[in-house]
Amino acid sequence: MRSLRREPALLLALLAVTALVLLFIVYPQLQVVLTPGPGGYVQFLQEGTWLVPLRNSIQLTILSTTTAVLLGFIYAYAMVYSNMRWKPFFRLIGILPLLSPPFVVAAAYTLLFGARGVISYGVFGQSPNIYGLNGVWGVQTIAFFPFAYQLIADALSRSDPRMEQAAHNLGAGSWRVFRTVTLPLSRPGLGAAILTTAIYILEDFGNPQLIGGVFYVLPTQAYSLISSFGEYTSAAALSTILLLLALGLYLAKVRLDGGRSFVTISGRASSMPRPPVSAAVSRACFVACFLLAGVILLVYGSLVVSALTLRFPNNLQFTTEHFQYVLSGTNGDALRNTLVFSSVAAAVSAVFALFAGWLVQRGHWKGRQALDLLLILPAAIPGIFFGLGYLLAFNQRWLDFVDRGWLIIIAFVFWNIPVGYQAAAAGLRQIDRSIDEAATSLGASSLRGFRDVILPMLGGSLRVGFVTTFVRAVTTLSLVIFLFTPPTTVATIRIYQLVGDLNWGAATAYTVADIGMAIIALSVFAVLARGRIALGGARA
Amino acid sequence: MTPETAHVRVSHVTKRFGGVTAVDDVSFEVPKGAFATLLGPSGCGKTTTLRMIAGFYDPDQGDIEIAGKRVNELPVHRRGTAMVFQDYALFPHMTVRDNVAYGLRVAHVSRSERERRVAETLAFVGLKGLEGRWPNQLSGGQQQRVAVARALVIEPQVLLLDEPLSNLDAKLREQLRVEMRILQRRLGMTFVYVTHDQEEALSLSDWIAVMNAGRVEQAGAPWEIYYHPKTAFLADFVGAVNLVPAKVTDLADGTVTVSFGRHHAKVRRPEAPLRAGQEVQLCVRPESFTIAPPDVAAAGLSLPGATVRRAFLGDTMRYWVKVDDRAWIVDQPDPGGSATLDGAVSLSLRADRVHVIAE
Repeated sequence: MRSLRREPALLLALLAVTALVLLFIVYPQLQVVLTPGPGGYVQFLQEGTWLVPLRNSIQLTILSTTTAVLLGFIYAYAMVYSNMRWKPFFRLIGILPLLSPPFVVAAAYTLLFGARGVISYGVFGQSPNIYGLNGVWGVQTIAFFPFAYQLIADALSRSDPRMEQAAHNLGAGSWRVFRTVTLPLSRPGLGAAILTTAIYILEDFGNPQLIGGVFYVLPTQAYSLISSFGEYTSAAALSTILLLLALGLYLAKVRLDGGRSFVTISGRASSMPRPPVSAAVSRACFVACFLLAGVILLVYGSLVVSALTLRFPNNLQFTTEHFQYVLSGTNGDALRNTLVFSSVAAAVSAVFALFAGWLVQRGHWKGRQALDLLLILPAAIPGIFFGLGYLLAFNQRWLDFVDRGWLIIIAFVFWNIPVGYQAAAAGLRQIDRSIDEAATSLGASSLRGFRDVILPMLGGSLRVGFVTTFVRAVTTLSLVIFLFTPPTTVATIRIYQLVGDLNWGAATAYTVADIGMAIIALSVFAVLARGRIALGGARA
Repeated sequence: MTPETAHVRVSHVTKRFGGVTAVDDVSFEVPKGAFATLLGPSGCGKTTTLRMIAGFYDPDQGDIEIAGKRVNELPVHRRGTAMVFQDYALFPHMTVRDNVAYGLRVAHVSRSERERRVAETLAFVGLKGLEGRWPNQLSGGQQQRVAVARALVIEPQVLLLDEPLSNLDAKLREQLRVEMRILQRRLGMTFVYVTHDQEEALSLSDWIAVMNAGRVEQAGAPWEIYYHPKTAFLADFVGAVNLVPAKVTDLADGTVTVSFGRHHAKVRRPEAPLRAGQEVQLCVRPESFTIAPPDVAAAGLSLPGATVRRAFLGDTMRYWVKVDDRAWIVDQPDPGGSATLDGAVSLSLRADRVHVIAE
């Protein structure tokens, strides 16, 4: 504490960070939780309208998580352990879904398997009703198994190859090594990966909204209560239930990995050799990955084809009409908004998270555990809840003079703080305290030491925070659904609206443009950072 | 020591971490231009004390003064101290030149002046030509020199060194020990040095404070510490020693007669108060003995004994010699010059080499 009193600038910086965290993380969330009031909660619970969406959410989360994790596990095992061919290709395909809004899978699914779908109607002549539990389940499985794959592959690749070689050397076959050494050792990491996937699925808004039909889950029910009925009380209470579920999953995950695991996806393979698996297993892995990659390619391929043809699938004549539409007028503005909001938010979030991480991890003051918790908290907050909080807290008349784009940027910044913060904490654990001390001992103030020494050394953490925040900002729908206004519409909102209008050509062209823009932007960042970029596990 | 000459003054300083008292009411003064060493086993509070002088820790009680000014409330970067760290803590993203220039840049020293001083200091520590290297391209010894240069260049009032040689191999450590002492003499700068290596402390220092369990057990010149330790812990910690229980039989002005086993000796009287019949310990350094075949007549105190075991240490031969019922450690220098002894021997030593510890 005394060190803070002796350095007023440091104290001031700490107070500023604390104030911002309270204002933009704690205050909006409290707004949601407190909106119904005690009487409101009692009435809401008695009405019982929450029972069905709660049951649906739990059911869907269990089903989708199981299948997504299963497929993700197969993909991960194949990538980490087998000697199959085409690994770089499969790795690339595995990254693609992380760069796009998850709900584009629902759009592609409708195109392929809907009432007039290419495959369902075109090939089989059927017009199935895809809306409802089964449709969402299937779509979420495809949308989230790549996330599960990344998390599981990370957990598996953390197991020490030397131990596996030792077991192999003692006579165990590759499957036995995997079962008796790898799995037990990576159990906490795998558990954390499963829970993280479950959180993604629990708070998924776009897929159930697009093809859920009357199958309402907590996020979609909360949204429709507000958008259709202006029912803020029930929506807030419903969102609070969602938050409690997500928090429960998140706390379980932290119990497993101590909140310390930190996934980065940099596209590099592990260099240490692992015990070889049999040729038959490798072949099986190849077939499985080929099929799964095929599904992903089918999803994105159908989007691209639809975007470039007049009226997919009936009229396959090539056209650039959809893209012209996407790039013109308010559509172009929304695309530009996405780029600007996401870039600004990513830069601010990365730097702020790094600075906050340094203050918390290196400080000696009371209350740093509390601030530490608050900075990680947004990782457990569903986007729909976070957005609702901002709506309730900052959608005020007296704030009308502020451009609403700033609200979206600030929401992006603070919703994504945990990634940069965890990256900073992980980076700081690699830097001995004596490095900070050396700077101050040579006459630099603590803040000066941070700028001159710590900041340049934490470039890796900064890039992880930046890239991840950028990608999450480009792909989120649930966070902005309550926050956008016509002039501050972003790409995901426009895609969602176009799908709702059944304007498939424009919707798919917009999706392709959005993903393309994200890839181009990331390539530019990669060039600026001399190729050293990495995507953090979106939930650190 | 008058207040004017005390350059670093630590008065009644206490530091607790949780329930553990790391430093317990420690006081000492270091004169200007002295090479002062805090010596002690790990966990004795020496590094904590050094870090309180630097300002990394705040004392719970007591004052720290530098050049007559109380610095308790000054932040680290305003204290006029510079620290050399055990792991050097070089900035990995800066070259040798930028590492050394860092403190000057922070102090807004002009570019030309900065370049001159960096070049001078690097030449001073023998690193000329390595300016453009990165820390990871340097050997351990070179890194250590950069760390010293980086701290010296800002001309601190006091240079603080936290076990700066402990990560180096024995040969290099000895070489740098000599360099360090020459450097300090040439600069006339006040050094406060922390080490657990008693040999290092003895060879480097003008003044040593031996710490144990958070307290200063004894402070003084190296030879005082070595030959006149006040406690058995000190005697044992600083070099190999024979500690033999004895009894005071007679007291006189300046001398004391003690009995141990079947022997009596009249030896120098220590400062501590003694009374007749008191149980004390005799402290004798192994190298204070002369060892000879039993028939050789010797001057001073003579003890007949028999060798039990011996170890060849290179520059000495170490014997364990049984006198009465106790094995004494005896070092014979330059063992190549004489035949190895076996069986019955005669030990002799001068009475003034026997030190009485009244504990």
